[in-house]
Amino acid sequence: MLKRPRFKWTHLAAAIGLAILVSLPWVLSGLNPHYLTICIMVGIFTLVTVGLCLLMGYTGQVSLGQAAFFGVGAYTSAILSKTYGLPPWGAMAIAAIGTGLFAYVIGWPILRLRGNYLAMATLALGVIMFIVFREADEYTYGTDGITGIPNLSIAGFAFNTDFRYFFLVWFFCIAVLLISQNVVNSRTGRALRAIRDNEAAAESMGVNALQLKAKVFALGAVYASLAGSLLVHYWGAVGPNMFDVSASIEVITMAVVGGLASVWGAIFGAGAVTYLNDVLVDVGSYNIIAWGLILMVVMIFLPKGLWVHLREGVSRWQRRRKEKTGI
Amino acid sequence: MSEFILEVKGLTKAFGGLVALNNVDLAIRPGELAAVIGPNGAGKTTLFNIVAGVYAPTRGKVVFGGRTLSPRIPPARRVRLGIARTFQHVYLFDDMTALENVEVGRHTRSRTGFVDAGFRLPNALREEDDIRLEAIHFLNLVEQGRQGELMASGIPLGQQKLVAIGRALATEPKLLLLDEPGAGLNAMEKKGLSDLIKRIRDMGVTVILVEHDMELVMGTAEWVIVLDCGEKIAEGTPYQVQHDQKVIAAYLGEDTELP
Repeated sequence: MLKRPRFKWTHLAAAIGLAILVSLPWVLSGLNPHYLTICIMVGIFTLVTVGLCLLMGYTGQVSLGQAAFFGVGAYTSAILSKTYGLPPWGAMAIAAIGTGLFAYVIGWPILRLRGNYLAMATLALGVIMFIVFREADEYTYGTDGITGIPNLSIAGFAFNTDFRYFFLVWFFCIAVLLISQNVVNSRTGRALRAIRDNEAAAESMGVNALQLKAKVFALGAVYASLAGSLLVHYWGAVGPNMFDVSASIEVITMAVVGGLASVWGAIFGAGAVTYLNDVLVDVGSYNIIAWGLILMVVMIFLPKGLWVHLREGVSRWQRRRKEKTGI
Repeated sequence: MSEFILEVKGLTKAFGGLVALNNVDLAIRPGELAAVIGPNGAGKTTLFNIVAGVYAPTRGKVVFGGRTLSPRIPPARRVRLGIARTFQHVYLFDDMTALENVEVGRHTRSRTGFVDAGFRLPNALREEDDIRLEAIHFLNLVEQGRQGELMASGIPLGQQKLVAIGRALATEPKLLLLDEPGAGLNAMEKKGLSDLIKRIRDMGVTVILVEHDMELVMGTAEWVIVLDCGEKIAEGTPYQVQHDQKVIAAYLGEDTELP
């Protein structure tokens, strides 16, 4: 075995981050329970965002239709558990697998396209799925949506309060982030980045670009599907408007704000955007202007995203410290 | 098994009305170090792209190791069969380190996927270690071991080209296609390159290079194929080619003295 570095600042940072995360429910439920709800939503959107980061940031493929998979997961979970009475966990698993296969099959023809054409195709997918959610009333109950979706529970322990749900969502979140990070730092991850940097060269190295793009598209869809399931079993209700084109754009914003080519940035992107959305509700109809301004400022000063700039700042500080101490 | 590792028969490639290659035949023996030369637009890179599977030929066929390669076999699968290449414009993966670039070259010789990597299964970790060690080996082979941790885009062009050769070698090819490896290198780097190419041949890899630099070609290759306007006008040893009237006329211009 090659030697792996033992102590890393990242381990310390991860431990601190985890401690803060775990203590959040206690702190927030005392402070303002509303923020606990926001944290749950951040977790759910982090799942969608990290899938998009793998696709856009690491593989270089645009998707303007990520909300479609979010919606397919949400509706599949809702319909199977409410209408057909399947256990929620089963519904969630079937939704994830089904959405993954759906994305894989759609991915083969779509991902042959490049750049703007791929953007248009994925946008169209988002529009089509939104219309399906709205118009297939027999299953989705159209604009009324589905209500009374059962909670998730483990051995009689129901995740029916914000306090409990927080842990459930963030368990999925951390697991998915860790898995994604492992993928990124592997043979497969290198092949993905190779496709992003130069697809022709990647193929000349034996990377089956189309197949790998379809796989990462499917993986992102599975993440989005899990997020959708977690959303409906939390709210107990689902309607089509959560999965329109603007939802896809919002997810892209999260990915860009957090840092496209970063896994952990997804938390920051989802956090910043969800929090801003919440705060700007008070600004009323001007919120869209405030939104645009903030986005512009972020893109001008932090084009690589919050997380990447933070990481680079820390490593600069470490280097300076090393030079000073002469180690 | 035929006596040739690569045979190209009646190869024709037309892009619309432009005929880039016209009825070209060539045959390369295993272990040979050959060069394809010709003026700009002679069809050299088109020839490489067809052998590598980027383009489908209009007519004719490519036989590799006795097996006719269907035009439907994509570049990625040809790498697995043993055809590797470099590019005229280097095409390193810019946002990756030199070592990572070579690690990508190990792609076809390794197998773990999303699940193994995602859950850090023992086979994935073991394979990662193997890939790392093998990549270091191939990077050292092209004498770029010290550049391993640098981002590819930050390395000088001459060394980028060597890293690209290392990356191609990492696929363990039987046949290596080098597209203008000497372009943009200084005299000393060219000498090093020439030695490296001969070393690669001595490792048992058949090498074909496309090159403009006459000195490099004549000092490196043992067999030279001359293309002009998509047609093969001559082939032979460097000496024979240098003294071929058609080559002198078409390629070098009338009455030109060779170095």
